[in-house]
Amino acid sequence: MNAKDELLKIFSLNLRTVFGKLSIDYEQLQEIRLRINAPLLIIYENREYFVTDEAKLVDNPSLAAFITKNEIRETMEYISNYSLYAFEEEIKQGFITINGGHRIGIAGKTILEQDSVKWIKHISFINIRLAHQVKGCAAPVLPYLINNNAGGIYHTLIISPPRCGKTTILRDLIRMLSNGSKYQAGMSVGVVDERSEIAACYMGIPQNEVGIRTDVLDCCPKAKGMMMLIRSMSPQIIAVDEIGSAEDLEAIDYVIGCGCKLIATVHGSSIEDIQSKPVLGELVKKQLFERYVVMSNRKGVGHLEKIYDASGKLLYCTDG
Amino acid sequence: MLAIKIIGCVLVIASSTAMGFFFSNEMKCRVDHLKELKKLIVLLRGDIRYANTPLPEAISSIARKSPDIFKTFFQSTSQRLQELSGQTFAEIWKDAVNKELTETSLTKKDKQHLAGFGENLGYLDKDMQINTLDLYITQLEDEITETSKTVKEKAYLYNSLGIMAGIFISIVMF
Repeated sequence: MNAKDELLKIFSLNLRTVFGKLSIDYEQLQEIRLRINAPLLIIYENREYFVTDEAKLVDNPSLAAFITKNEIRETMEYISNYSLYAFEEEIKQGFITINGGHRIGIAGKTILEQDSVKWIKHISFINIRLAHQVKGCAAPVLPYLINNNAGGIYHTLIISPPRCGKTTILRDLIRMLSNGSKYQAGMSVGVVDERSEIAACYMGIPQNEVGIRTDVLDCCPKAKGMMMLIRSMSPQIIAVDEIGSAEDLEAIDYVIGCGCKLIATVHGSSIEDIQSKPVLGELVKKQLFERYVVMSNRKGVGHLEKIYDASGKLLYCTDG
Repeated sequence: MLAIKIIGCVLVIASSTAMGFFFSNEMKCRVDHLKELKKLIVLLRGDIRYANTPLPEAISSIARKSPDIFKTFFQSTSQRLQELSGQTFAEIWKDAVNKELTETSLTKKDKQHLAGFGENLGYLDKDMQINTLDLYITQLEDEITETSKTVKEKAYLYNSLGIMAGIFISIVMF
């Protein structure tokens, strides 16, 4: 069974027929959005399209297929393998990772218990973000991260606005560092995958290729996970996605103190932007990170803008 | 002529007695099957409560522990769930209740309850799920106690009624 058939199985029968007939390149399909009583919408090749009942892509929302309450309910049933309760922890966070590594974001009416979300009832909005691995996308970055003197890599922070491919590049970096490349021998990598985005584990098994020397701690809070991994798996590199809280900062100090190398990503548009953030700004001032990789989608998703060293010296720039 | 009549009477008495025994036996079997079903649902509850196992897997693991009479029911349900064929859980469950439980001594009412229970599985949070399971288990328990109470008297009644009816028909026809 190919990836497309696997993906189609999560939809209600009606939507399965629509997507089955849709003649598009599934590799370029980024998002599918289902909203109750709203037209069916997809993000394809960085553009938004509505989809009609006859599986045509159109720009006019009034022609598009409408999503009914039953369709959402049916789709949720298949997504959760008929067992929403088994995803209680995931639902608290607002998303479910499914077979194939795709991420399903959900919204509806939240049920609170002692100030934290306990459950989402009446799920009415579903966002399916398709996981695509872009193998080799980190190849241009890798040489800048290798520390030839110490025989390892530099502490690295990848800075990028949302939907510019920072997780994709992080995943590819992990894969290359773990497998080994012409620049370095393979290193053991510990990944704390708080939101199941990097390795996209489904029942504990990584659905994305993350390398042969990689251990993944799935769905674990980053700060706790980093410390746990260091104690239990003795990694040479720790990789985490989207750092930013004060707790993370403490854990990062611990990681660096243990002699582990750190690769992390953060939302932001430039190094100045990060400097102005309360927690991360400190890290930049302390020069904890030795390499900053800045990305954007100026020339398509995953566009590498600039690479700086610890003192802010420019090492690489696309414009010359 | 008399011989034929006597043979006829014996046959009538034998068949009506057999019928009486069949009904009383059916009632005893029903209690056994209800008890068995309760045990399996308790197992299902455990799987959901402590291991968070998704339904297709939980049901398949129950199928492995089931006695033959319930095995095909759970097996085919779990198989069809794993196919993700585009049917809802309630539909698959109801279908299996109607098709795969014909061998059991469960009554129409029992099957209706079981099918109704399936309508509330899967689409709830864990607490609600456990509550639904608890509710169904209590329902089964009530049914079992009620039936067990009367099963002795009724079995005796069915047995004697069978024999008496046979004798009565024979006398009338003799």
